[in-house]
Amino acid sequence: MSQFRAKKLDLGCYINIRNIRDHTKRKVFAENEPERQALRYIIRNTTFPQRVRAQAQLQLAQMHCYTRYTQVKNRCIMGGKGRGVFSDFRLGRYQFRLNALAGHLPGVKKASW
Amino acid sequence: MAVQCRVFNTTYNPERLRMGTHILHQRLKGASVASYYPPRIGTIKQLRALYPDFEILHDKEEDWLEAQQVARSRGKAPPKKKRTAAESKKFNKRR
Repeated sequence: MSQFRAKKLDLGCYINIRNIRDHTKRKVFAENEPERQALRYIIRNTTFPQRVRAQAQLQLAQMHCYTRYTQVKNRCIMGGKGRGVFSDFRLGRYQFRLNALAGHLPGVKKASW
Repeated sequence: MAVQCRVFNTTYNPERLRMGTHILHQRLKGASVASYYPPRIGTIKQLRALYPDFEILHDKEEDWLEAQQVARSRGKAPPKKKRTAAESKKFNKRR
């Protein structure tokens, strides 16, 4: 879905196509979030006429899949990994270990007892 | 109950109808979601736009330009871009 992608590279972290794609999805989601929430409100509100709610359902279902939050995935910003990513540090587990041992992560210390 | 709703700024709904107000109460998380990856900053182009009176050198670009110059002098430069469809035909030399 390259129609959403930024024409110029706007990522300062590790770059591969999956990171770029995820970044694109995040931006599209942020843009369309109010609209989605409004439609969700109409759908959940039982005081509206059934016809209006059904139309809102259709409209929500027809929105692009990139506007959905479930499409977003946390990826490692230093290695592009999609699995084993610590969301607090936005790093994959191996990158986390390397950076922690090098002392780049303030407050992180190797445990020993 | 009505007073409680007014004080705590919630919807007064004694019949317990499904009004979907919990969706309106949800916070928008788009901004924090979109700022997960760090932005691209400090590129040569941005620096040049910020400080137009300083001369900022771009080593890589200069190296590339130099290599292009050398290649051109040796006749190894890339061919000119074709402008028309007839020119760009691959095998239109002579049969």
